Amino acid sequence: MEAWRLPLSSSIRGKLISAGYTSLSSISSVSSSDLARDANITEDEAFEILKLVNQSSGSSSCNGSGSLINGAKNAWDMLHEEESLPRITTSCSDLDNILGGGISCRDVTEIGGVPGIGKTQIGIQLSVNVQIPREFGGLGGKAIYIDTEGSFMVERALQIAEACVEDMEEYTGYMHKHFKANQVQMKPKDILDNIFYFRVCSYTEQIALVNHLDKFISENKDVKVVIVDSITFHFRQDFDDLVQRTRVLSEMALKFMKLAKKFSLAVVLLNQVTTKYTEGSFQLALALGDSWSHSCTNRVILYWNGDERYAYIDKSPSLPSASASYTVTSRGLRNSSSSSKRVKMM
Amino acid sequence: MIVVLSIFHNIPSLVGCRFVRLENPIIDASFRYFCASHGIVTVEDFLLHDVEVLAAFADRQTNSDRLKEGITVMLSLVERQCRPWLNGMELLEDLQRNKQNLSTGDRGTDSLLKGGFREGQVTELVGPSSSGKTQFCMQAAASVAEKHAGRVLYLDTGNSFSARRIAQFGSSSDTSLEQKVMSRISCHTVYDIYTMLETLQGLDVTLRSQVQTNVNEHRLRLLVVDSISSLITPILGGSGSQGRALMVAVGYMLKKLAHEHSIAILVTNHTVSAGGEGGKTKPALGETWKSIPHVRLMLSHDHKNSNSTISILKHTSMPSGQTMRITTRKDNR
Repeated sequence: MEAWRLPLSSSIRGKLISAGYTSLSSISSVSSSDLARDANITEDEAFEILKLVNQSSGSSSCNGSGSLINGAKNAWDMLHEEESLPRITTSCSDLDNILGGGISCRDVTEIGGVPGIGKTQIGIQLSVNVQIPREFGGLGGKAIYIDTEGSFMVERALQIAEACVEDMEEYTGYMHKHFKANQVQMKPKDILDNIFYFRVCSYTEQIALVNHLDKFISENKDVKVVIVDSITFHFRQDFDDLVQRTRVLSEMALKFMKLAKKFSLAVVLLNQVTTKYTEGSFQLALALGDSWSHSCTNRVILYWNGDERYAYIDKSPSLPSASASYTVTSRGLRNSSSSSKRVKMM
Repeated sequence: MIVVLSIFHNIPSLVGCRFVRLENPIIDASFRYFCASHGIVTVEDFLLHDVEVLAAFADRQTNSDRLKEGITVMLSLVERQCRPWLNGMELLEDLQRNKQNLSTGDRGTDSLLKGGFREGQVTELVGPSSSGKTQFCMQAAASVAEKHAGRVLYLDTGNSFSARRIAQFGSSSDTSLEQKVMSRISCHTVYDIYTMLETLQGLDVTLRSQVQTNVNEHRLRLLVVDSISSLITPILGGSGSQGRALMVAVGYMLKKLAHEHSIAILVTNHTVSAGGEGGKTKPALGETWKSIPHVRLMLSHDHKNSNSTISILKHTSMPSGQTMRITTRKDNR
């Protein structure tokens, strides 16, 4: 560890280094009076420096529970946390079942499929569903929708929001017999109010926006989902230098991971498909190459099977591979086999 | 006779040390003044300076005998701090006593590797996306925590650590035992290479101070980094070689940790296309990284048959090319 990385004024830092203290370990093992004498600074300044050094190398003091690194969590504690982690429902119970309850927070989920399969519909549905209040089993949060292709349609979002509110009212009407009536406070306009929409027109704007998201979400702590539709669009045509593209994309993926972990929100990245030549035949694969496919926690692939739309869990750390069918109706995403209009909320 | 000098064991405690703290009667104020006039203030400066030139300058001074004595004392102090040479027998003893084989949790892999992971070595697992690398890592972590009663540190770069899945790998249904086993596994998230270097250095300091204090608590036996390639890919390539330098620095840090503290280290890497029309893949991170891990394993998954195959790309004591079919444990609850 180097002494020049300490947050000190440059004159004091210069005095430290010219007196021979270039590493933190050499500073930490000396007393404040010796430090003051050698580096020609006052005792108070020496004391401050020692405090800084001990703070930054704080992991060297072992506490009773013996955690090896500051901030490392125990797997047993994480088990209980994981079980109580909220999930965002997709309004399609089959899809929720294979996802273990819905899109999980603190994860980066990549959803990819051929054009027309319903990626944007899923995106809009999730940005509405994240706002379902806690009394109905939702998260009661806000959504950030980053649109790179211009496929977000406000009328469609309004339609889905109206259907969601109707379903919630129907649900309270059903439960009215057992519980006290809980009037639904939300109106479709409120739902649209809580979706923060960004339109991005080039890859530099996309990178700048991802860098800005940290600050934005710190100011709007209710945001619980970030949807990027689609992550690939600006990176497919403009880039000549593929090596640089890999670097930029993996950096962006790490930033999303950090956001998801830090603010406990779900990041959903929608991706396009391309053809890849493997094992002697052309197959459909998600765009952006092999390096990008490692940058997400979960991956769901949407595909056509005859006339039905199917979703398949391609990559997940804790869920088995499974597929389920869904449909896109005028009210949003729904089960394909269910004829009832009422959506299972809890 | 085989003699080995380990280059990792430098003189960390002494190098940054200033002469004033050496507390030797011969290293007195006049000696220090003489050295300071040649720009030598710390032991590191002394080592970098040409000793014979210094001795020649000392000759010209009035108290040349004392100064030359001081130089000799300095050299002997340095030698005393330096780790002695190890011969073959001592290495073998160290191997048999301190560095054991850790089971990977899967019998097929254990038989392929003739025992499992070797403590003191860095094992790399390469595979295309969703081939089961994270599952393998979690299975190894669960196995080491349970069968070898050792602590496991899991450094996660992709939010893929799932405590629920680790619980499924455990073989006991007794809750208190399960709690004990799972509390030996710690998980920490790292999102860039500089934090990784800091974390590894902090771990080094912690482990070194722990050696003296306690022997009763379980010691760290396995360190998993999943995945190291997602930290290195953003800095590799492009103009300048700083990316490669950082990659090699991390690699050496891992090897040093593994050897000094008798830990087995498991890192995962992804694959990239190997060029040409065949659609073949090769491990990412390039040629420089190839020589850093001791053992390299390749994992491939056949989605149609749900079969996984693990093969040896490189091993210190076994021929490469051997393969074994493995199955991932499903949920058995």
